[in-house]
Amino acid sequence: MIEKQHIGSILLADCGTAMTKAVLLDRAAGQYRFVAHGEAPTTTEYPWSDVAAGIRHAVEQISEVTGRRFFDAGGDLISPELDRQGVDVFAATVSASQPLQVVLGGLVRDLSVASAERAAAGTYSLVKAILAGDDRVGAGLSCPCLSDEERVRTIRDAAPDVICIAGGVEGGATTPVLALVEAAALACSLIEPELRPRLLYAGNSRLRRQVVDIVGEQAELRVADNVRPTLTEENLLGAQAELDALYLQDKMEQLPGIDTVSSWSPAPLTPTARAFGRLVQYLWHLGDPSKGVLGVDVGAANTTVAAAFDGRLSLTVRGDLGITFGGERLLQKQGASTTTRWLPEPMSGDEARGLLINKEMRPTSIPQESRELWLEQALAREAIRTTLQVARPGWKPGTAQLYPHLLPLCDTIVVSGGALAHAPRPGQAALIVLDGLEPIGVCTLVLDAHGLAPAFGNVAAVKPLAAVEALDSGGFVNLATVVAPVGHTRRGDIILKVRVTYDDGSKFSVEVRYGDLEVLPLMPGQQAVLELRPLRHFDVGLGGPGKAGKRRVSGGLAGLIIDARGRPLRFPGEPKQRQAQMRQWLWDVGG
Amino acid sequence: MYYPFETQVTPLTNVRRERVLPVPGETLVHVGERVEPTQVIARANLPGDFHILPVARLLGVPASQVKRCMRVSLGDDVQQNQVIAARRGLLARSVKSPIDGMMTASGGGRVLIEAQPTLFELRACIHGTVSNVLEHYGAVIETVGAVVQGVWGTGDESSGVLKCVVKSPEKLLRAKAIDPSCHGTILVGGAGLNETAIERAQELQVRGIVTGGLPPELLPLVEELPFPIVVTEGIGTVPMSTPIFHLLTTNDGREASISGQVQPRWGIVRPEVIIPLPAETLPPAETQPGMPLTVGARVRVIRAPYMGAVGTVRALPAHARRIETGTRVHGAEVDLGQGAPIFVPLANLEILR
Repeated sequence: MIEKQHIGSILLADCGTAMTKAVLLDRAAGQYRFVAHGEAPTTTEYPWSDVAAGIRHAVEQISEVTGRRFFDAGGDLISPELDRQGVDVFAATVSASQPLQVVLGGLVRDLSVASAERAAAGTYSLVKAILAGDDRVGAGLSCPCLSDEERVRTIRDAAPDVICIAGGVEGGATTPVLALVEAAALACSLIEPELRPRLLYAGNSRLRRQVVDIVGEQAELRVADNVRPTLTEENLLGAQAELDALYLQDKMEQLPGIDTVSSWSPAPLTPTARAFGRLVQYLWHLGDPSKGVLGVDVGAANTTVAAAFDGRLSLTVRGDLGITFGGERLLQKQGASTTTRWLPEPMSGDEARGLLINKEMRPTSIPQESRELWLEQALAREAIRTTLQVARPGWKPGTAQLYPHLLPLCDTIVVSGGALAHAPRPGQAALIVLDGLEPIGVCTLVLDAHGLAPAFGNVAAVKPLAAVEALDSGGFVNLATVVAPVGHTRRGDIILKVRVTYDDGSKFSVEVRYGDLEVLPLMPGQQAVLELRPLRHFDVGLGGPGKAGKRRVSGGLAGLIIDARGRPLRFPGEPKQRQAQMRQWLWDVGG
Repeated sequence: MYYPFETQVTPLTNVRRERVLPVPGETLVHVGERVEPTQVIARANLPGDFHILPVARLLGVPASQVKRCMRVSLGDDVQQNQVIAARRGLLARSVKSPIDGMMTASGGGRVLIEAQPTLFELRACIHGTVSNVLEHYGAVIETVGAVVQGVWGTGDESSGVLKCVVKSPEKLLRAKAIDPSCHGTILVGGAGLNETAIERAQELQVRGIVTGGLPPELLPLVEELPFPIVVTEGIGTVPMSTPIFHLLTTNDGREASISGQVQPRWGIVRPEVIIPLPAETLPPAETQPGMPLTVGARVRVIRAPYMGAVGTVRALPAHARRIETGTRVHGAEVDLGQGAPIFVPLANLEILR
C-alpha cells in the first residue's frame, strides 16, 4: 500500500482531452513541496495514438527545469527514485476518453428522470435522449407521452452505450415502468448484437424479477438501487457506481496507451472528476463545517461542479460542454445571445459560432486577440452556469442554504481548468467565477494554478499529508476573498460599510454602493480583519440581514472583492449599455 | 520541447486509407486489385425501418386475444397494406401493415414489423490498389499521390477533376468564375465564397469545393449541400495557405478525391483532398510525424491575427513573452517572409508535413 511506503518524490499527471499536465512533488526540510510542472498536448490521436506519450512530453518540461531524468531509454518510468533519478510514486487522473453515451428513462421529468440525470452526471456521460412518462423527448416540450414506437426509435437512433431506466417509488407504479423496460428491450433487439447498449435498471426494486424476465437475452442487464425510493428521497450512489464502472471499463480503459500509464502507477487510474470531487470533500474537512466547499473545473470538453456540504460530496459533470468542445452546440441550443451577453463588445451570433468551431478544430490553441479571449471567457461563464443548474437540485446544503434561489454559503471555492488558470489577469478568472456561480456571503476563491487539483485529490486519498503540504507550497494560490451581500435596493445606494485592518495595524474604510464591484488591496500572503456593516437589511452571511461582524481573511492575486452587484445578477437589456457594463466590471477587477 | 499537431500538405507520398463498413458485411475486393473511386468494394445490410402496431388497441380486443386474430405468423413476410390481423363479427376491424417487411416480434398486444434491410454500398473513393482486406468490414486502399488535409468540412465523399477558379489564395470564389466547364469538377477557391457562388456551384453540379475560409453565416447552407466542402484554414474569410494553394493549383486538371467528413476528437477524422499521381519512387519524408518543434521547421499559424500564414521557425526563445491578450506564453519567432519575424505562441503553431 502506498500510504505505508516511505515516499519521497511524487509525480502526478492529469490526462485531459486537450492538455496533459504533470507536477513533481518532493520532500524538502521534512515537508512535501511543489517542485515543478509541465504541460503538453494530449496524445490520444495520430501520430502518437498513445496517452503515455503526452505524459512523457509534459514530464520532459519538468526534466528541463530540474535536471532529473524520469524515464529510461525504453520510455519506462524509473520508480522508485534512485540517485535523484525517477520518482517514488506516480499517480494519474484521466478525462481524455469519450463520455458514456446514455439514454435515460423515467416516469416523471422532475422526479425519477431528474434523479437519473443527476446519477448520470456523476460520471463522464452524455445524455443522448430522455424518455419521460410525462414528457416528450428532451426537456420542455410538453406533449402527450411517447408511443412505444417513438420510444424504440429514439433509443435506436441515439445508439447509446447504456439505457438507464428509473421510475416508480418503492412499492409504487409498475405498469408504466415495465412499459419503459419493454421499449428498451425491444430497441436493443433491433440493434446489431455487438452494438447493443447495456440496460441499467434503477427503478422500483419490486419489479426487478419482471425486468429480468422482460429483458431476457436482449441486453446485458445491470441493476442498482432505486434512485428515487420515495418522492422526497434520492439515492444516487448505486446507479452512479454502476455508470462509473461502465465508464471505466468501456471508455477509460480503451484509451490507447492507458495500459502503459497504468503500469507506472501503484494506485488505480482515476477519472479526473472523481479525484477532483475527492479533493473538494477533503477540503471541506479542513474548513468551516457550517458552510460548504465548492469546486469548479472548466476543462476542454467537460465542466465539473463538485460540492461538499456536511461532509457529503455531490459531483456533477457536463460531459458535453467545455471551453473547447460543446460551445458551438450550446450556442445553437440556447441562442447566441446567452453567451454573447457576457462580451464587452458587440459580436454577431454567426461570428461567435465560427470562432467556436475554429477552436474545436484546434483544441490546444489559445486566443491571441482580446475579442477571442472574451468569447472563451463568456463560454466558461455559461459552462459553469449550465452545469450548476443540473447540480444544485441534488445538493443537501442544510443550514448553508440561506436563500432557496441562491447559492448556499461556501467557505472555499476551488477554481480549476485552463480558461481560469490561464486567464491573463487574476481579476478575469475571479470575475468568471463570480458571474458563473454568483456566490453569497464571505468566501475564498482558490486557484488551481497548474491544473492539478484532481491529481492532488488522488494524493489526498492515499497520502493526505502530501496533498496538504503540496497545496500550501504552490499547488494552489489564493485568487481572492469575496464578500457578496444579498438584498435589493436602488442602484447607487450605500449598502455596506467595510473596515479593513491589516496585520501591521494600518486600516482604512470604504462605503460600498449597490451595483458596484469594489476591489480592495489585499495581496497574497497578507492577512487582515474585515469589519462588515451591512445596511438596508443586506445580508453578508454573518447571521442574517443587517447583521454586522468581523472576519479574518487572507489576500489573493485579485485582492479583496466586494461584489455588490446583487443576486441574482441583472443585465441592462440594451446591448450597448450591457457591453458598457461588462467593460466596467472587467475594469473594476483589473481585467 | 513542444510537440505540435501536424497537418499533411504533401506533394507526393504513399497514401493508405482504411475503408470500413458501419456494420459487418461482405468485402468484394481482393488484395492487389486495382480499384476506381466509384467502385463498390464492400456492402452490408443496414437495419431497415420498423413499426410497432398496437394490434389489441386497434382491434379493440384484450391482449390475450390478439393471437387468435393474427393472419400472419412470426417470421412471415408481409406486404404494405396487407391485412395482418382482423376481428370478425359485428365490430369487424382489421390492421394492415404500413410497410413491406417481416413480422419479427409480438407480445403485450403489439406486433413488430421490420422493413427489409437497406443495402449499403461502400465505394473505394480513391484510385488505388487494395493492400489489405478487412474480412467482413472493408479494405485498405493504397495509392501514391498528393494529400491536403483540411480543418473543417461538410458533406460526404466525392471525386472529380480539380479546377482552380481563383487567381490567388486571397481572392474570393465568386459566382461569375463558375462557368459550365466547372460541371462535375472539384472547385478550388481562395479566401472564401458567398451564397451566390454556392448556388451557382450547385446548379452546375460540381463534385466539391476546396476553400481557405468559409463565412460563418453560410454554415447552415453548406451543411445541406449535396457535395462535400473542405475548408483548409478555418471559419471566416481566411486566405488559403500558400503551400496548399500552390499544391492544388499545380495539380489543376488532375483527378482527385475529396472528403468533407470531420470528427474533431475521439478518433479524429479530417477532411481531405487526395490526388493520385503517377510515381515510381517516393522522395524521402522531410520530417517524421510526432517530432518536437525545432528551428527551421515549416509551420502554419492557426489563430488570428495571422491565421493561415505559413513561415519558418527562426528561434525558440527560452522565456515566455506577453501577447496582446496579456497572457505570458512560450512561443516561437516565425519568419512569414514579410518583414521581421513575429512571435507566435507555441500552442498556435502546427507543422505542415
